Amino acid sequence: MSKRFAKRLLSLLISILLVHAVAFMMVRSTRGGPFDEERSLSPQVRVALEQRYGLDDPLAVQYLRAVGGLLRGDFGPSLRYRDTQVSELLADALPISLALGGGALLLALLIGIPAGLLSASKRHPLGAGIAATCSTLLLAIPNFVIAGVVVALFSFRLGWLPPAGFGQLRHLLLPWLCLALPLAAQIALLVRARTTETLQGAAVRSAVAQGLAPAVLLKRYVLRPSLTPVLAFLGPATAALLTGSLVIEQVFALPGLGTFFVQAALARDYTLALGVTVVYTALLGSCTLIADLLMAKLDPRVEALS
Amino acid sequence: MKIKWLTRTAWVFLALLAVLSLIAPWLPIADYRAMDPDARLVAPQWTTAPMLGTDAQGRDMLARLLWGARISLFVGLFGTIVAMLVGVPYGAFAGYRGGRWDRTLMRLADALESIPMVVFVLFLMSILQEYRAELAFVGFGRLQLFLVAIGLLFWLPTARVARAEALRIRQLPYVMAARSAGMRGWPLLRSHILPNMMPALRVMLLLTLPRVILMEAFLSFLGLGVEPPAVSWGGLASDGLAAMNPLVGSAWLMLLPSGVLALTLLALQRVGASAKN
Repeated sequence: MSKRFAKRLLSLLISILLVHAVAFMMVRSTRGGPFDEERSLSPQVRVALEQRYGLDDPLAVQYLRAVGGLLRGDFGPSLRYRDTQVSELLADALPISLALGGGALLLALLIGIPAGLLSASKRHPLGAGIAATCSTLLLAIPNFVIAGVVVALFSFRLGWLPPAGFGQLRHLLLPWLCLALPLAAQIALLVRARTTETLQGAAVRSAVAQGLAPAVLLKRYVLRPSLTPVLAFLGPATAALLTGSLVIEQVFALPGLGTFFVQAALARDYTLALGVTVVYTALLGSCTLIADLLMAKLDPRVEALS
Repeated sequence: MKIKWLTRTAWVFLALLAVLSLIAPWLPIADYRAMDPDARLVAPQWTTAPMLGTDAQGRDMLARLLWGARISLFVGLFGTIVAMLVGVPYGAFAGYRGGRWDRTLMRLADALESIPMVVFVLFLMSILQEYRAELAFVGFGRLQLFLVAIGLLFWLPTARVARAEALRIRQLPYVMAARSAGMRGWPLLRSHILPNMMPALRVMLLLTLPRVILMEAFLSFLGLGVEPPAVSWGGLASDGLAAMNPLVGSAWLMLLPSGVLALTLLALQRVGASAKN
């Protein structure tokens, strides 16, 4: 277990380094820098600027310095926000994005698992149809549309929740909902498929024959096998959350990683974009790792296979 | 019975959309770029002149929707083809060779999967903005960049399916027979393995299409998609979202493009699911 964990951790570190290296090379390969904007700079000013940001050193030196910075969590100064370190911006934005993503994931699980279980049980034929339709529908609608509809309904029509902003818990409720709904749909579909299979299996049939109480049956024989695909889905779910948060943070004007990343990508703030990319890679990698470990814990066969 | 009817409707809808978007330049509709300051934010009239209303600049929404369909469907189709052109050879090779090649290639695919590809592709698109002049010189606009980016995003699942199929077909008796008759390498792949992968690949094509269209909408929404004056559904929906405020009721600006988008994706899903069974 620990050996496998160490191996995975190592490969995670390597992939972070690789992403960083490729992104670094891409940034350095652009000859149009952040300094040639509308008006041209005098040569002296340009040289001074390049010296300040260390752009006049050989590429290898720059790269090694960047790796050193990476190890210390330092990505250098932002090219757009004057006198601000990228790491400061990241430190401000990361908690917001984590709260957004974590809350959305939790909400998705809370909606998705019961919905999947319910729609798999034969006692609710109507419920099954509704759940299936809702899931397909949610998967076919882009999340910014969901956001628009939700804002129009809850903020403009009903006036219950603020349409944008940040600071209080109620600012996060709508973003959570918008991010969670498509994920909940996928989780529900996964749980439904696996539970249908489990319910038809021999284990459940003999348990029923023994006269086990439904609650015990659910807990001991249905829930556990039904949750493995959900755990396996946690990695892709994190990726989907990252992608979704790019949009949702924009719509609700949340100052999280996604907002910074999109702004940086549009405004050519490459050091910031690079920093966010590395943080995203680390986030996704660690979530996948945790999901794998949990899965091995829940289903010993996984361990045996790999 | 009901499902079959649904699938047929989905096909008809998609065909109609494809034909309409193909012949959009010759249809008797308004110019999708023409602004009319006197007719801003006209609500849909359904039967008379601005049938689907106008946007904040007074441009005809029906025309914009149809021209948007051109871009969205084009990007969807060609993005999917790019993804398959990368994924299928990769997966088929891995599955066909097996052994060490297979392990290495698939481990690489696993590693790529653990990278937030969307973020990486956005990063790439932003960097490539710097090379616009050079890219334009070789005939590469935003649209072509887009297709490459999409290919980068979606080839992995295709590669996995292609690999699984190649592994399965490799063990079938007729491939064994061809091998024992001395057939190897590319001829074997081309005449025996690839043709028999086609059904699975067709399903994969139908399943990838909606995801690519959705991704185009996503990128256009973030402002990294097609550039104005070109329009796509994602861009239209994002304009609609921007124009939305509690004082002016202009919900149709967002609901129309996203409605068409959702309907198209649903139809594609339906068709894909029916092809799978």
